[in-house]
Amino acid sequence: MTELTAPSVVASSTRSDRRRKILQNLLRGERPYMLYIAFVILLVVFSLSSPWFLSVDNFLNIGRQTTLVSIIAIGMTFIIISRQIDLSVASTLALSGMAAALAMSQINNSWIVGAVAGLGTGALVGLINGILTTQLSIPSFLVTLGSLSMARGLAMMVTNTKPVIITNETYFAIFGEGTFLGIPVPIAWTLAAMIVGILLLHYNVFGRRIYAVGGNPTAALYSGINTKRITTAAFVLTGTLAGLAALVLSARSHAARPDVVQGMELDVIAAVILGGCSLFGGRGYILGTLFGSLIIGTLNNGLVLLGVSSPMQLVIKGAIIVAAVAFTKR
Amino acid sequence: MLSGIKKRFGGVRALRDVNLEVRAGEVHALLGENGAGKSTLIKILSGVHALDNGTIEIAGKPVEFDSPAKSREAGIAVVYQDLSLVESLSVADNLLLGREPRAAFGFVRQRALMARAEAFLKELGIPLDTRATVGSLPFAYRQMTEIAKALMGEVRLLILDEPTSSLTSDEVRILFDAIGKATRRGVGVIYVTHRLNEVFEISQRVTVLRDGANAGTFVTADTDMKRLVNAIIGTDRSASIVSRNEPAPKRDLDPSPVLSLSDVSNDRLRAVDLSVSKGEIHGLAGLIGSGRTEILETVFGLRPIESGAIEIEGRRWLPTGPSDAIEQGVALVPEDRHVQGLVLDHSIERNITLPRIPHFSRWGWMQQRAAARRAESAVARLAVKAQGASSLVRTLSGGNQQKVVFGKWNDPRPRVLLLDEPTVGVDVGAREEIYAVIRNAARDGSGVLVVSSDLVELIELCDRISVIVDGRVARTLSRGEIDDAEELHHLLQMYQASGPGHLQGLPA
Repeated sequence: MTELTAPSVVASSTRSDRRRKILQNLLRGERPYMLYIAFVILLVVFSLSSPWFLSVDNFLNIGRQTTLVSIIAIGMTFIIISRQIDLSVASTLALSGMAAALAMSQINNSWIVGAVAGLGTGALVGLINGILTTQLSIPSFLVTLGSLSMARGLAMMVTNTKPVIITNETYFAIFGEGTFLGIPVPIAWTLAAMIVGILLLHYNVFGRRIYAVGGNPTAALYSGINTKRITTAAFVLTGTLAGLAALVLSARSHAARPDVVQGMELDVIAAVILGGCSLFGGRGYILGTLFGSLIIGTLNNGLVLLGVSSPMQLVIKGAIIVAAVAFTKR
Repeated sequence: MLSGIKKRFGGVRALRDVNLEVRAGEVHALLGENGAGKSTLIKILSGVHALDNGTIEIAGKPVEFDSPAKSREAGIAVVYQDLSLVESLSVADNLLLGREPRAAFGFVRQRALMARAEAFLKELGIPLDTRATVGSLPFAYRQMTEIAKALMGEVRLLILDEPTSSLTSDEVRILFDAIGKATRRGVGVIYVTHRLNEVFEISQRVTVLRDGANAGTFVTADTDMKRLVNAIIGTDRSASIVSRNEPAPKRDLDPSPVLSLSDVSNDRLRAVDLSVSKGEIHGLAGLIGSGRTEILETVFGLRPIESGAIEIEGRRWLPTGPSDAIEQGVALVPEDRHVQGLVLDHSIERNITLPRIPHFSRWGWMQQRAAARRAESAVARLAVKAQGASSLVRTLSGGNQQKVVFGKWNDPRPRVLLLDEPTVGVDVGAREEIYAVIRNAARDGSGVLVVSSDLVELIELCDRISVIVDGRVARTLSRGEIDDAEELHHLLQMYQASGPGHLQGLPA
């Protein structure tokens, strides 16, 4: 019976071991380095071909331009890992922005009221998406296809498609134009969302359950996990982050408009998939998502600097996304 | 037909000089533990893998394939464990998939298709409704559809990979009949199995693989169980396996029931009365669809109860769902470990800690080192053959995967351990190890309720066995009342044949 003794592996936890583990946690993925290589290649190509590309100002620019996609993509990572999809995020953003601006204009012009209304509206749309998906067992693709249309319609209805002007200076400073420790606030909010995302996904019980639900929903259910609640929570998280993105956008433009960011859900999903999430669930990581959205943002920025016409930009962007996914997938 | 097959994967030599000859009209059994090279051999024959060395001959002519299509052209058909049917189509559509009788402009001649499928099934003697949607069929019938499909066209060699692992004994009969019809047409069959009794029933010759090499080819009629087991596992390890047919000794049990069901009914169960004592291993015997799995699912909170009561250690309890059941100390090792038991793409550690995530967290944050330690110790204790707890479950053999499922429920000890077909697709050596795990759980005081189609397994493991027919307990037998799988088999047939209720008073 010699073969019965298993190779016992003793977990040694030296400090360097632990540090490597943390790094693995953050960079995990099938072939994560491919993503970073793709990003570096992109940087080198643009740096060589445009004199304006390689500068701190331009990088801050890219950071600011990718803020909206990055923030929402962090939520979308949870959703896609748990085998769902949320097509309604851009409409949720528009509706949340309208809610924030209207609430402020109605109640004391208070930035707190605006923030609560914006985040709350986003969370509520997420909750409805989650409940319809899990309780009525409608595929989330269809549920959110419906709410994409409904949320956008509501956003337009509340003011008859007119924008709502915002006048609160504190609101602008906190969400749009100020700096935090020298970092422009939109970027600071992205980093904050990223840190929360990493903690939740890689270090919290919630994250473990998200992976299990996406990896094998039946096995998760048989292991006593409330798969419906976990899935719903992922939708609420994403909706809330769409609300945060709405605050950032409306503070930057001093107004909420009902027709903003149409079609942005596709950039968000592309960023998550580019970042190494599997559309079949169970796999993905936050830092990958962030690099995914940076790649998309860098592409947008670099192509503009190169003076590529905007129809041509679309073609190139699409081709590069498909190529990058083909390149980075297992 | 085959000679000197060699295959390497990287540095690993998966097959070394394997010779195998299958005659026309012969059933040739292929035995070996998981990892012995059976799957590799099948994949070479089916054209999935190319061979590094050696030759394959069909009817004396050397052949070479580089794709499954070529292998199929040469007359080799494989029926895999995981089926390749389109569930939304009918049996007839599946049989003639890709070679439908056509009219002009590619329209399918539906009536001709039905007629051909029916004629073919009739010729084979397989009792299948050609109009039935495959997805609506019980598993055994899907498998027969698969075999029928494999036999369409010019087939000289049929390869069956563990075809009976989820069939009941009656269904195995039907399958064997179908195989017999195929061999009478001159088809040679390679029959891969873990069940030795089937080898004696159906095969003319047996080849055993061990560590990628031939461990002997035998004429079935001239060999016996013991010799085959020796060949499979190597002589030094056979001692504990040969005792396989001896029943568990009668034990004195703590009579207090840890789980009891009285009069429990729901959509699939009818007034089930059942009790499991502390430390008892209680078997549920019955055909697929008899309600045995449903009893486990009901206790685990997956099926609502309509009437009756469940008690855990004397306290009444109404299960509301798996998480509620787990909280009460009920654990389930489900029937299908790939679908229900494991997240295949996750590590052993993630799988083992899954049911008890809250135990490895503080304020909602994972204590990753505690989880890792616990998983490592479970890997060591259950003798899971793996590089470590961070290995992906997908990379493990069936037996080791099953040990991981057990590992999910190992600590703390469950009060009630529900096992559904705990050794399906597990090789001989690992099966004994799993039996040891089950016995240990009972010795530590768990009440174990085990469902199995393998009657020998029930006889060997259980203190009591309940016979389940049509959603109710037809009879509960104690150790001493029945000690022989053959006897249990007869009893099961009798109850099944006469329906529930009629045999209550009959002696065994």
